[in-house]
Amino acid sequence: MIIANQKPSNEIWKMIQPYQRVLIVGCGTCMTVCGSGGEREVNFLHNALRLMELKLNQSAHTFSEFTIKRQCETEFIEMLTEKINYVDAVLSLGCGIGTQAIAERFDNLPVLPGVNTSIIGMGTTQGVWLERCVACGECILDETAGICPVARCAKGILNGPCGGSKHGKCESNKEMDCAWILIYKRLEKLGQLDKMRKYYPMRNFQTIPRPRRLIKSVTGGNTDGQLSL
Amino acid sequence: MTLDVTSIESQNNSAILDRSLMPPCQAACPLHMNIREYVDLVARGKVMEALQVIRSDNPFPSVCAYICSHPCEEACRRSHVDKQIAIRALKRFAVEFGGDRKVRTEARTIFTEKTAIIGSGPAGMSCAFYLRKLGYPVTVFEAHTEIGGMLRFGIPQYRLPREVLDSEIRRMTGMGIEFRTGTPVVSLDLLFEMGYQAIFVSIGAQQSRRLGVEGEDKPGVVDAITFLREINLGLKPAIGENVVVIGGGNVAIDASRSALRLGARTVNLVCLESRAEMPAFAADIQYAIEEGVIVNCSWGVKAILGKEVITGIELKRCVSVFDANGKFNPSFDDSITQILPADTVITAIGQIPQIPESYGLKTSRGTILVDPVTLNTNRKGVFAGGDAASGPATVIQALANGRLAAIRIDDYLHHRYPRSLENENKSPLGELSPQTIQAIRKISRYEPPLAPPEIRIKEFQPIEQVYNWETAVDEARRCLRCGSGAEILFPDKCATCLTCLRVCPYSVPRIDQDFNIQIPPDQCQACGICVTRCPAMAIALRKPWDRRHINEEIERFRHRIKITQSRPLIIGFCCQYGLFGTGKLAGILKTAGEGIWIIPIMCIAKVETYHLLQAFELGAEGVFVAGCGEQCARENTIAEAKAQIQKAQSVLVEIGLKIDQLQAFLPEAKNDNRSGDPEKWLEEFAGYIGSLHLNSLLAAEGKN
Repeated sequence: MIIANQKPSNEIWKMIQPYQRVLIVGCGTCMTVCGSGGEREVNFLHNALRLMELKLNQSAHTFSEFTIKRQCETEFIEMLTEKINYVDAVLSLGCGIGTQAIAERFDNLPVLPGVNTSIIGMGTTQGVWLERCVACGECILDETAGICPVARCAKGILNGPCGGSKHGKCESNKEMDCAWILIYKRLEKLGQLDKMRKYYPMRNFQTIPRPRRLIKSVTGGNTDGQLSL
Repeated sequence: MTLDVTSIESQNNSAILDRSLMPPCQAACPLHMNIREYVDLVARGKVMEALQVIRSDNPFPSVCAYICSHPCEEACRRSHVDKQIAIRALKRFAVEFGGDRKVRTEARTIFTEKTAIIGSGPAGMSCAFYLRKLGYPVTVFEAHTEIGGMLRFGIPQYRLPREVLDSEIRRMTGMGIEFRTGTPVVSLDLLFEMGYQAIFVSIGAQQSRRLGVEGEDKPGVVDAITFLREINLGLKPAIGENVVVIGGGNVAIDASRSALRLGARTVNLVCLESRAEMPAFAADIQYAIEEGVIVNCSWGVKAILGKEVITGIELKRCVSVFDANGKFNPSFDDSITQILPADTVITAIGQIPQIPESYGLKTSRGTILVDPVTLNTNRKGVFAGGDAASGPATVIQALANGRLAAIRIDDYLHHRYPRSLENENKSPLGELSPQTIQAIRKISRYEPPLAPPEIRIKEFQPIEQVYNWETAVDEARRCLRCGSGAEILFPDKCATCLTCLRVCPYSVPRIDQDFNIQIPPDQCQACGICVTRCPAMAIALRKPWDRRHINEEIERFRHRIKITQSRPLIIGFCCQYGLFGTGKLAGILKTAGEGIWIIPIMCIAKVETYHLLQAFELGAEGVFVAGCGEQCARENTIAEAKAQIQKAQSVLVEIGLKIDQLQAFLPEAKNDNRSGDPEKWLEEFAGYIGSLHLNSLLAAEGKN
């Protein structure tokens, strides 16, 4: 799940200043789940902006709102076609992908981000999300007892723990568990401690070709799901 | 009301329709009164509206408010948590405070078919009431000189004051119902000849059963129906010092308590049943014992002693009342006996109808044989109901029976096939789960005040008093509002984010096998927390008013601003239960003066951030949320309200307002002195906002 955080209202306020009529577009999937851009947040922001408008004596802006099922699908975005004729800008409460998808569809329309897309993570209790994956494209979770060192180690090293690990905590943050100690403990439980001995060559972060593209054939099969440039 | 959700029309209208489910109390009520609705209205302090709801389903609200046997309370699901809601007492409150007996009922004649009712007891009067409302000319024939049947002659005045009954009858004559008193009907054929096209026979069950023991015909033995009738006619039947009443039903209890009021020194009640088996209402038995009636359970009568006058009564031990098949078949142990001194014996062992042969109606076990669905007898156009058809029953059953008869007579006169009512009157709600019961706050029941027993037995005055306003609100808010909880109204919006599952204080929402969220309606407590937290706004409460009441209030204010051009200084969202109940929050209404606008809300947990922002948008300088605190019937409401307030405050800071301009008055614990007195708090808050306002005015002056 993609997790984002809504930008502070005054930052959004500054962003929309050049545009008179603003359509606030919510996303009904990830942004709804993480409570940053679902229909409720769209409604909240709509009310907040209207109040700001009133209190800061501008009366220059009008707002409207609309929430679509998923902002990262062109078919859903099509539903905005009619509405954008009456606005000067779209404030997207979708993640970075959704914002770009709308921008890509409507050439002449300024699209503004209403959220800071932050992590790929999981929800634990209400309102708490933890990063668990960085989408590196080379999954080795089978070797690391189901705990990702790339996402959960501050350094993202593949041969840990490093010298900064103390009492199971990370030197960069005393509150944070050292991912490699977690991996060790879990491998111990699984009886697979020999996997700790395996050496991984250093990852070359510079050579990840961006933007990546995933093409899957409809017929499926192992070799089709390739990441390529 | 249950809806066919598969129909396209209902889905389109789902946002505005009432989607609440029938609660168990309503299903248990023979009249199927909308109990949840009027209890809720009382809790909101809207007593006139509550009375309107009561009157829409009940022909005699005042009578029922005094003497209904309240089967609804037996079905109340709150009884699993602590004690059931005092529904009848709340109805009494609504009836008295709403001024029921001052309200007229309108009716006009639409049809020409004349209808006749024989007997003016509750069943007959209810039938007459509804036939008249449907638009038929109605004539009620009554053999006695006064109207009311058992309501007048059977029920003692301390339970139902006569002026209450009289006012109900006045209302009926006002509707244009013709009463012919002192007119026993000897022949149904004659009525048909007179032009009546449908007849409802509700002659009641007024013949007392006989004991069948030695000495029963001696002077000093009287049956309870005659005894009560004499009292109710204003005569003072002569009784001795030691009275023995035989029977375990309500009539026996009424006779015992009446005997005490007539001055009997001792009153012994003798019945076959054990205390738990007694058919009389438990509360009435309790009252009788308080007043001094001695209840002798599990005794049968062996003989009535004495030669010319009665000296005593010999009893034998009753071993069991019912046989293995559950049928009434008492067995006795003749070796255990006792003798009670008695100079008056009152028998109250049941009544049977007296059906004139000349009516030509088929009977079964002494009652008129009727079709249970159509209430039709063996004669065309003759319907029967009430005690005459069912055997002795309660007033509320008689009223329901009379109403059904009116519907069936209407069907008959219009050649319609009778509509089945069976499935419409079932509650789809199951029992509360132990987990939910555990999570519901326990709040003790407020009993209506009673006169002390020593005063009660001196006269035939009504013994039960009415709640005062605050207690009624407090009692009514105990209602669990079964069947009106939250539902996922827009499943297409639901992103299955599990927020509802995580925030529900009662752990009601669950994931089904298809990975969809379900909110079981029989467990939901309608606190509304999931509604305000659902990020997709897919959840809504089942009742339309619950869904929109805050928005409506805000719109009303918006309109008011337009008209009066005056702006509020402060807007307060206040728990309306707290405002009208006994809690300390009630003081806020008194303090709220000029410029302070109060929006009563169902519970502070239902306030959403945008409501608070809209209040500022309306022009308020200050906004507050005031909860009822320790009185809240639901869990987590304070924390939820705080979260919404915090979120709104974050916006205030960004637009240059002060955080303090949005405040909360949320007394948390019972002995929370920090939050203190709401009146003082509001005064301070108003003073603070006033000074801010003044400063801003001065600043604006300075600029100019």
